[in-house]
Amino acid sequence: MSATLKRVGIWLGLPVALVTVWWFASAGSTDFFRPSLQRIVQAFRETWLGPRFVEEVLPSLARLAVGYVLAVILGVVIGVAIGLSVRTRALTEPVLEFLRAIPPPILVPVIMLFAGIENTMKVIVIVFGCIWPILLNTVEGVRATDEVLTDTCQVYGVKPLRHLVLQSASPQIMTGARQALAIGIILMVISEMVAANNGLGFTIVQFQRGFQIPEMWSGVLLLGLIGVALAGLFHLAERRVLVWYHGSRDADRR
Amino acid sequence: MLIVDRLSKVYDAHGRRVEALADITFSVAEGEFACVVGPSGCGKTTLLRCLAGLLSPTSGTATVHGKLAVVFQEYGRSLFPWLRVRDNVGLPLKDLSKRERQAKVEGALEAVGLTDAAGAYPWQLSGGMQQRVAIARAIAYGPRVLLMDEPFAAVDAQTRADLEDLIRDVWHRLGVTLLFITHDIDESVYLGQRVIVLSSAPSRVAENIKIDLPDERDQLTTRGDARFVELRARIYAHIQKAKRGSTS
Repeated sequence: MSATLKRVGIWLGLPVALVTVWWFASAGSTDFFRPSLQRIVQAFRETWLGPRFVEEVLPSLARLAVGYVLAVILGVVIGVAIGLSVRTRALTEPVLEFLRAIPPPILVPVIMLFAGIENTMKVIVIVFGCIWPILLNTVEGVRATDEVLTDTCQVYGVKPLRHLVLQSASPQIMTGARQALAIGIILMVISEMVAANNGLGFTIVQFQRGFQIPEMWSGVLLLGLIGVALAGLFHLAERRVLVWYHGSRDADRR
Repeated sequence: MLIVDRLSKVYDAHGRRVEALADITFSVAEGEFACVVGPSGCGKTTLLRCLAGLLSPTSGTATVHGKLAVVFQEYGRSLFPWLRVRDNVGLPLKDLSKRERQAKVEGALEAVGLTDAAGAYPWQLSGGMQQRVAIARAIAYGPRVLLMDEPFAAVDAQTRADLEDLIRDVWHRLGVTLLFITHDIDESVYLGQRVIVLSSAPSRVAENIKIDLPDERDQLTTRGDARFVELRARIYAHIQKAKRGSTS
């Protein structure tokens, strides 16, 4: 118990210190563009803890969820297909390198042309940005499948795809998925900043244009909090899925 | 039963032709325990992979009558690290009902003395215990023929002696046909009813030696037996001859 408390303390220590400094340094600020933290927190409460949460935040999160899940599914399926065959890998590598090199935000105006500015466009942008780390990591993970385990599957009539390939690639798949999550949040906001009629990115830009500065800052704060919360959820999920992986790595180190 | 008929394997990698197995012919009778020994690099593992159907021979055939199970040398890499011991043993039995599977898994773990470790992950166990899990998996599978590829090469000497006795015990209990590949001459004499000596690569069967030791064996008396020492010396001489034959 005390160990957990200590960890929470270490984890929260710096953020609490920074917020405290910010709070007192900005207290009583009369600068229009840099309002006091107290003012921002007040704006946060008024802005986000109400109908706006449903109208602006949930649509953003829903698009992120759909795009992210699609990217994970597509990335794993395509990654496994490519990783299993040496020939496919050689064939697809140059194309993948090219596609991966395109910065996804540049696709927002392009995709707008045929997918409009509604949800479809934003989901496509998120999928396109998130898929690469997942796909490429899956390919690497599948490639590294142990030969002895492959032989074992063959001798004992065990279906290798489900029982071996996906499992043994799961640490790499999770690494890719973690990277993709951060990219997904960025693209969620960017796609809304360029063209949208709701969503977090859209609302923050609206505040900025309307000189509602404390509200704008509170939106930035909210994005940061969402990022931390999603990373925390991911960490919990990863710990469950990869119990064996972390355990065996610790066992090797001993 | 296991029949190997004029088996040969030639690797053709990057223009370099490597002849691993020249012409191997032998058979192992139903219920027999045979060991294969040979100098290092004589293609023992190639032979096993051909027998297990993991590698197709260049010519000749390897026929296994009945269900086959294999215990690999690299125990650490042949168990699934994401599965607990009981699921590792039960994985090849997916077609059975849950109840039957459970019974077989429990029986097999009991046979190798690992009942207590059923809930552990393989990487939580010592090397010798991991190899026991691999043996339990082979037992649970219910094979007619069991192939073992230097299964004890990577464990310490005492564990090794225990595992050798365990294998004799398993063989007696299951009545399987057992082919045990090793580079250790003592081990081959101690374990089997017959020792097949391979020559250096490209390997052939250099000699087929019947081990006429009593069926009841134990580490102390059997290894001290005059007949044991004699057989070991004979096999050693054959291997030395086989080595010289290939270098000259």
